[in-house]
Amino acid sequence: MKMIRAIVRPEKENDVVLALEAKGFPAMTKTNVFGRGKQKGIKVGPIHYDELPKVMLMIVAKDDEVATIIDVIKNAAYVGYEGDGKVFVSPVSEVYTIRTGEKAE
Amino acid sequence: MLLEITAIIRRDKVAPTMRALEAIGLGSMTITTVSGRGLQGGNVMTDIDREVPAEYESVSKITRHLTPASFALVHSLTRPVFWIPKRMLQIVIPSAMKDEVIDLIMSTNRTGWMGDGKIFVSPLEESLRIRTGERGLASI
Repeated sequence: MKMIRAIVRPEKENDVVLALEAKGFPAMTKTNVFGRGKQKGIKVGPIHYDELPKVMLMIVAKDDEVATIIDVIKNAAYVGYEGDGKVFVSPVSEVYTIRTGEKAE
Repeated sequence: MLLEITAIIRRDKVAPTMRALEAIGLGSMTITTVSGRGLQGGNVMTDIDREVPAEYESVSKITRHLTPASFALVHSLTRPVFWIPKRMLQIVIPSAMKDEVIDLIMSTNRTGWMGDGKIFVSPLEESLRIRTGERGLASI
């Protein structure tokens, strides 16, 4: 299993979630986060913003589904400017469903 | 060897889980306020095997080019996305305690209804206590 953490624009959150749901991945966790990237934030006139609001979506998926999910996120969250976000993939060794006690690897 | 346990649980189960973990000597954890949806898509009233309409795909295609008009379009065209408030606990444990901790979290949080949550176990490479510079097992 892999955990996919996608940091996307807040205004694109709905698009990403609906696109993932249409592909059959309805389950995810969302957090509002603040961050900045390589450009060290943005400068609007004299004001420098370095804590830009973003939404982090956490999805845990089987190894062979990761490529599909990344593709869906890439297409749905795309605007074409700096600040579109990042996708991180990290390993998860076990997943338990609390209600049933079921285990998946 | 260190493991990171990420448990996404009901909001009202945070305190019982903390107390249960304290009893086996794991007092430290990180709690985050998150929103989540499970296989039911955040819909608390429906079944798992609810069919997902295919038209969402075309909607996301229209809105890929973001203009004020298409932005308005997305907010009126797409159905609202439902989120359920949850708490995420992140606990770093030595790998020997894995089964004990997972059993404990599961027994504390199980109500038998959908929305009890998930537990993710992932390997962790390094842990460091900032104050003293201790690494690995000594730091947790």
